[in-house]
Amino acid sequence: MAALPKRILKETERLMSDAPPGISAAPNNDNLRHFDVTVAGPDQSPYEGGVFKLELFLPDEYPMNPPKVRFLTRIYHPNIDKLGRICLDILKDKWSPALQIRTVLLSIQALLGAPNPDDPLANDVAQNWKEDEKAAIAQAKEWTRLYANGE
Amino acid sequence: MAGSAPGDEPALFFPVSSDSEDDTPVPTSSKLTSTKPPTSSVEHSAGPSSYVSKNGAEASPLFFGSPEPETVPASTSYKSPPKRPALSRHTSSQRSKSVPSDFTGYLGEFVCEGWSLSKGKGYCVPGSKVVFERPKPKKIVEETSSVVEKIGPARLVNGKMVHSKAKSMAGKQVTLGSMGVGKKATVVPKKPPSKPIVDQIIRFRNDRGFEIGRLSVGEAGFLVHLLDTGVIELRGHVIDCPPVLSTGATILLNVKVYLTAKAFEQVDKDGREGVGTFWQEQKETEEEEAMRKRKDALGLLFGRIGVKAIQSNALLMAQKKNGSAVINEASLKHFAARASSGANTPSRRSQSPSKASSSGSGKGKTKDKGSARNSDDDEGEEDSGDEAERLDEEQMNEIDTIYRKAQMGDTKLEETDPPSTFLYTLRPYQKQALTWMRAREKGDESVREQSLHPLWEEYAFRTEHAAGEPITIVDDDDEIDPGRKFYWNPYSGELSLTFPTSKTHSKGGILADAMGMGKTCMMASLMHSNRVGDVPAESPAADPDGEPDAKRPKFKQVTLSNQWRAVATAPKTPSVAPRATLVVCPVSLAAQWHEELGKMGEKGSMTSMMWYGNERQDIDRILGQEGKKRVDVVITSYGTLASEFQKWRKIKDKPSYEGGSIYDHEFLRIVLDEAHNIKNRTALVSKACFELKGQRRWALTGTPIVNRLDDLYSLLHFLRLEPWGHYSFFRSFVTVPFLNHDPKALNVVQYILESCLLRREKTMRDKDGRLIVELPPKTLDVQVLDFSRPERQIYKRLEDRAKRRFIQLDAEGKAMSNYTSILAMLMKLRQCVDHPLLVLGKGANEEEEGDRLLDTANGDATGSIKEMIAMYAGGVDAKPPGESGTETAYALKVLKEIGESEDSSECFICASEIFDEVLLPCYHRGCQDCIVNFIGSCEDKGKPANCPICGQGPYKAMDLRSVQRRRKRLNPITGARAEDGDEGSVSLGKVDLVSSTKLRALVRKLETMRMEEGDFKALVFSQFTSFLDLIEPVLTKAGIQWLRFDGSMSQAQRAATIDEFGKKSKDPVILLISLKAGGVGLNLTMANHVFMMDTWWNEAIEQQAIDRVHRLGQNKSVYITRYIIKGTVEKRIMKIQRSKTALVNASLSGGAQRDKSATLADIKKIFGLDEEDSEDEVY
Repeated sequence: MAALPKRILKETERLMSDAPPGISAAPNNDNLRHFDVTVAGPDQSPYEGGVFKLELFLPDEYPMNPPKVRFLTRIYHPNIDKLGRICLDILKDKWSPALQIRTVLLSIQALLGAPNPDDPLANDVAQNWKEDEKAAIAQAKEWTRLYANGE
Repeated sequence: MAGSAPGDEPALFFPVSSDSEDDTPVPTSSKLTSTKPPTSSVEHSAGPSSYVSKNGAEASPLFFGSPEPETVPASTSYKSPPKRPALSRHTSSQRSKSVPSDFTGYLGEFVCEGWSLSKGKGYCVPGSKVVFERPKPKKIVEETSSVVEKIGPARLVNGKMVHSKAKSMAGKQVTLGSMGVGKKATVVPKKPPSKPIVDQIIRFRNDRGFEIGRLSVGEAGFLVHLLDTGVIELRGHVIDCPPVLSTGATILLNVKVYLTAKAFEQVDKDGREGVGTFWQEQKETEEEEAMRKRKDALGLLFGRIGVKAIQSNALLMAQKKNGSAVINEASLKHFAARASSGANTPSRRSQSPSKASSSGSGKGKTKDKGSARNSDDDEGEEDSGDEAERLDEEQMNEIDTIYRKAQMGDTKLEETDPPSTFLYTLRPYQKQALTWMRAREKGDESVREQSLHPLWEEYAFRTEHAAGEPITIVDDDDEIDPGRKFYWNPYSGELSLTFPTSKTHSKGGILADAMGMGKTCMMASLMHSNRVGDVPAESPAADPDGEPDAKRPKFKQVTLSNQWRAVATAPKTPSVAPRATLVVCPVSLAAQWHEELGKMGEKGSMTSMMWYGNERQDIDRILGQEGKKRVDVVITSYGTLASEFQKWRKIKDKPSYEGGSIYDHEFLRIVLDEAHNIKNRTALVSKACFELKGQRRWALTGTPIVNRLDDLYSLLHFLRLEPWGHYSFFRSFVTVPFLNHDPKALNVVQYILESCLLRREKTMRDKDGRLIVELPPKTLDVQVLDFSRPERQIYKRLEDRAKRRFIQLDAEGKAMSNYTSILAMLMKLRQCVDHPLLVLGKGANEEEEGDRLLDTANGDATGSIKEMIAMYAGGVDAKPPGESGTETAYALKVLKEIGESEDSSECFICASEIFDEVLLPCYHRGCQDCIVNFIGSCEDKGKPANCPICGQGPYKAMDLRSVQRRRKRLNPITGARAEDGDEGSVSLGKVDLVSSTKLRALVRKLETMRMEEGDFKALVFSQFTSFLDLIEPVLTKAGIQWLRFDGSMSQAQRAATIDEFGKKSKDPVILLISLKAGGVGLNLTMANHVFMMDTWWNEAIEQQAIDRVHRLGQNKSVYITRYIIKGTVEKRIMKIQRSKTALVNASLSGGAQRDKSATLADIKKIFGLDEEDSEDEVY
């Protein structure tokens, strides 16, 4: 294992000592490029009260390439599929090395507060969202209660 | 030696008296007939006639040897004085007691078969005596023998006796044997090694002189050599035979075997001390051959007769108190078997160098032929032998174990304080070394207990009851009359009548403490302690026999060597005890020795003088000075010595030669510093050291064994440590068994080391369990860096081509013949890893192949590497100095911004403080490396390289502008940030892309250190001086002070540089050192940072380099930073480094010819052809 670049060390340090509200991220002991992440559902969103687990991995090319992030907790969200994959531009072509783990996680948290069914990843969810937003939100809340209860 | 040295003039070994009575031609007389002149081993009972008399025909045999053979005067007459002294050289020493010339010792008897060569009755009946004979080699002294040869043997033909002329071959009866006599005898020149063939026939005749038959081939085989060299005598009688002989009929014989005086005498190599030419290489090989034959033959003979050792080494060893090194008999047997099988090789190997070397007289040439013959059978093994000889890692570990074992008792050594004239305070372990060294110089072995000589076996002559001659009757049960004892060394073939102890002649030893433990200092303390040598007349070299005398009073050991010395040495040397010590060291260390000796001693207590260079003074004058100007220590370099040696060798034998060479002086002490410089025993410099005259000899080296056991041999040879300093000996006991993976070899090595080597390591603990040396900690930081894009492209291209070229060569089977060009290609790669620009530079070596890599010739359409590098170098310059109008406005704007936003000096990519700050056109800033990398990676992905922060763009590397603000030089930590409003000192420049990853990393690190530490001293090692050239301007630009140390500098410049580097400075000082010039010996403890810019083949060399800093005297923590580029040859080199295989050595020895074959595999490894590329595994 090559030595960890200073940037990753610094980011880790900052995440641990000064985590953004509602977000925690800690590196895996076996692989310091692998983070266990939790994100609290934003207030005023169907995910409020839920605690979502994610995993985040920094590839060798980081920060030239974006981190890889995935939800571990099931979530009912038009931009997150059942495998936990996330449709978010900064995780793909809009990535810039000026972004950081922290900003990525904040963006994800924001995504929970602002689902975008027009750029769906989970088509059935997006469909539902567009057709009957209320039902969809209820479903999201239900899933949050069921799965994102912090256990 | 039997036969051995012999080669030369066997005549030398014959008692003078025998000359006259040489061969009497066929005595037809009745009675005793010693017939054939030719046999050196004629029957004992033979008549007074033949020259056999020397063996005791007339003189009554001394079967058991008188307890005190009176040999003193006689011995001198054995040999003519050392007209050609080298000849007298021999291996083991102690038992050089001379033996009366008429001595014979009854060894035993055996029954064997012979074949009749005659027909008819009356030749013999059971019980009749027979006389054995061998064709007599022609010897110059014995001209008369030719007569005999012409006459040929007498025989009965049809009842008549006839002298058949061998040449005329009258009649059928001319036997093969007799033909052989005629022919061979004439062929055989005085130098046996050049004999093309030795016939193997031993004929026997009856006591009337008639030939009866010959011994069966099997028996004759091993007797021939011994008979020819006069080592044994045979007497026999017929046990059974047909009443009427027919050709080929079997005759059963009883043969008694006697060892003659010759067996014991010849192996005398004393007198060497007085003799300069003694250590010539070719001598050894010649001797080697003879000794091997003799050894083999005696071994077979002993086996045949059933002679058994009364006491052999196993017992001897077991008696040793600490018994740690038990070499048991079986293992040694094992040894012997191997040894003999390998014995051919050395003789051959050593030839070419010796031939090439100066002293290669006619002698060397004859020997070539001789040994070529006996190496026919192992022709094919030669190369593999070479390879195998190198120690692999595992074996090196074993060596470590041995060192450790040999050191076991050392913590118990007493401590000796140096005299008051020595100013430094010695550490306890250094005081112990002083004790040991003083003891070694005194020849006092008791300090470290000595083992008995492990390689000898004790035998006793049997009593010969039948003979009715005077017999001393001894009870075999216990004490055997020492007079009956004799000793045999089954490994060298030597015989002795005196008890061989392992005592050495040498005074001195190997001080092999690990690097940085203060060997110089210890040696200096010894110089202060033991200042006066012995008066040469009773030179210490002469008295080693003294001690055995005391122990075994029955053997009066008047040795030849004593005799010699009185004659040879005494008159030459003035009877003033030598006082001066000669220090031989690499030239780079000379000044250091001089300086340190000056510092360590009280003023005027010890004066040293550097003696080298073109304007060196006359050595006579230097050493002749007395009083205040007296010189105690002469410091010279290996190079100087080698040239002195060459000069001296040319003129020394001329009558006009009047002395005055350093070789005419006897020194009190000779000290070889970094003694592994003489590890190659055939190198001129090694010979130059061997020839020096000194009473005490010391070798200082941290690595007595570099990568072969033979390295050790050279040191032992220099020390004149007997018997190990003899090549064939060392080879058979150590090297060859070791190659055969016989662990017993290590026992022997250990035994040797115990006797003469002191080694402590930094990690060793004293008797109280404390580390003997407390050095500050050493931290190694391996920085694995990534090429910048352009660098990687260039490198890749280069590597691909080199790989392709290699595969092509390999496929054509030409890889080996293009060996040097392959090395050149590798060199290019290694240079490229440091800095792409290095690739363009020409090294000193032929690098055509390397250069070819750079051209497009290979049908590579993508453009030549040269162009790529030119682009790389040209980079920004290529761009026209654009729109100056906008340029200025832009600059102003940015300057202002930078001035305002001084806090955000963290690079948004690497999250560290910005290094080599650059600006994007959108004013966003970052490290040059980071941004250039970013742009590169975008281009790789085909994405527009927009600013990562604001998204403007796309940009190119050329669009960047570098920022220089002087302010950054100040120390932000201490807050000494002189913000006297000179934001104005921010300026923009073109981005300098012409740097390399490693170089930038280095500068970056140095800048950081400068901020954190302020003043520090650091060494920067590279093996390419051209890389150092590139580092210089970058350091200058960064405002870092540097100095340079490389092989092109004169000694004076070097000294001045080191001096300058040692001066106190408020600012950091960097010393740029070429690995080869500065890796050894220098003491640079003023620095505590080391940067290794590249990877050298041999880790030990790098270790040496690091030890310049991490050694005694260092009191700060030491930090080593090594830069490695990911995914390049460096990784594979490091792998090979670890396995210490062939290429390492090949490269070290400048691509030595013979090492090639095994290196192929290594080269493949380097190109990554033999394994799946586990690139990410580590680096």
